[in-house]
Amino acid sequence: MKSIVLSSVVTALLVFSGCSTKEPAVDNKTEQVASPVAQEVEAVTTETVASENSTISSSTDELSMNAIESKLPTIYFDFDKYNIKPEMQEKIDAAAELGKTKAKSFSIKLEGNCDEWGSDEYNFALGLKRANAVKKALVTDGIDASRISMVSYGESNPVCTEHTKECWAKNRRVNFKLLP
Amino acid sequence: MLVGLLFAGDATIEVVKKADSLPSLAVEDASISYDDTFKLRFFKSLVADLNVISLFNVDRHHRLVNYDNANVLVENKDMNYVLRYKMFEDDNRALNIEMKLFNTNEEVFSKRYRVNKKNIYMFISHAMAYDINEFMGEPSVAWMKRKVIFARIVAPKKSEIIIADYTLSYQHVIIKGGLDIFPKWANKAQNAFYYTSLDPLKPTLKYVDIKKAKVKNIISSDGMMVCSDVSEDGKKLLLTMARDGQPDIYLYNTMTKKYKRITTYSGIDVNGQFMGDNKIIFISSRLGYPNVFSKRLDTGVVEQMVYYGKSNSSCSAQGHYIVYEARESSNAFSANTFNLHLISTKTDFIRRLTATGINEFPRFSKDGDAIVFIKNYKSQSAIGIIRLMHNKNYLFPLKSGKIQSMDW
Repeated sequence: MKSIVLSSVVTALLVFSGCSTKEPAVDNKTEQVASPVAQEVEAVTTETVASENSTISSSTDELSMNAIESKLPTIYFDFDKYNIKPEMQEKIDAAAELGKTKAKSFSIKLEGNCDEWGSDEYNFALGLKRANAVKKALVTDGIDASRISMVSYGESNPVCTEHTKECWAKNRRVNFKLLP
Repeated sequence: MLVGLLFAGDATIEVVKKADSLPSLAVEDASISYDDTFKLRFFKSLVADLNVISLFNVDRHHRLVNYDNANVLVENKDMNYVLRYKMFEDDNRALNIEMKLFNTNEEVFSKRYRVNKKNIYMFISHAMAYDINEFMGEPSVAWMKRKVIFARIVAPKKSEIIIADYTLSYQHVIIKGGLDIFPKWANKAQNAFYYTSLDPLKPTLKYVDIKKAKVKNIISSDGMMVCSDVSEDGKKLLLTMARDGQPDIYLYNTMTKKYKRITTYSGIDVNGQFMGDNKIIFISSRLGYPNVFSKRLDTGVVEQMVYYGKSNSSCSAQGHYIVYEARESSNAFSANTFNLHLISTKTDFIRRLTATGINEFPRFSKDGDAIVFIKNYKSQSAIGIIRLMHNKNYLFPLKSGKIQSMDW
């Protein structure tokens, strides 16, 4: 007969222990607790950041970035495809126009997404090709390529999860995001 | 049958073993520790594993007995085999199991097992089924003892990486809090793995040493970064990277830390899988739709592998077999549309392995006996196991979340 010791599957498992086995002693005396004296602590040193050194947008800038972002379109794609459909082209043209005017001080991040069909590695690539197609169209419309970055989320960023044609169509998309 | 003899051992021919021709086996529980709930839980796990090895008609009655009884229970006197086991807790609170196998009342096999924590009891159950399978002289089911690692989407852009046993009864969340996906075991010992982190700056491939609980960055790429396969010796990786938004396959040497571009097609090339020393298979959209191709690493010659199906978007290779995910109908949205198929590079046959739901992401076990895959059916995500030589599929559902990718 063999004896086999199977060690713990994952040694990173943490074991929390710590129950005391001693019985707590009951103390019948009531202890008076004095109210703590408040101690004044040293003032915190602060550094004033000059407005010209600030790299974070002021709150009004951020608000307007969000406002402009909400005007940017979502570009939709056919199943298994990453070409820009004719009806989507005018949306991209409108986005490029915003990119050259109100949004001209921001960078553009394109997020590619897919429906749930097919394995996610292929879908990550498909989402990226979709983002790249939109990028190329924006560049053709006059946006500088260096302002545009891309990311793909494959199937992992759905806007809906119903198993219907309408939901799948909504997930096959590229979203625009603005970055300061 | 002559046909059976000619093609014996070729998994592309369907093998159907009739259930009533299998020998019967009953399980007797002689445990002397633990409460009834735990005893029943272990019994169920063992019966499930014994079913998966597909050698017996397993009786499902939970019968209790004394371990040292000379004879099997009277209810089991007509069973071909009886498996009797005793669980007991030792002074160190470890779970111990002794088992013996009777063949028509004669003891033919016995073994002992021990684990420090009873919450990993299912690994003993898998080991017992594995050992009985070995004793019966059947092809190895070593995959039953291995760990599965998978990524689960818990919310949009949020996932967890979990290590589990093949039935998902044991689950340990090892990475969480961000969008961490595409986990891949780094070696046969399963004590390290790679995964992709979509951190804010760039998709990055990370390496986790489980024993030391250390994470290190391997390589980053704009756009996309996935470790698709690891070579047998663990020294080379097939990566999918997408500099400039162009997804292609790269061969990465973990020793020299250098990579070489393998595919150059301007569309999509992903999911590289090692097939022997000098060849890979991969998915490419070079024909206008995703399909399975092979490429020789020495000559660069590319060959189409599958001539069937309209969207074959995932593949895995073992020996001369290729399993791939195929969309069969031209209507992308009918039920029963994505199924797994098996082909051999040595024959012209295609064998369909699944029947319903969305079946994707197939991966061969290292011994080639089984295929693990992801099944999504009616809002439930499950891990599926296909025993190729037994023509049987098993499903292990996930209680919540969606399985995004996995490895074993």
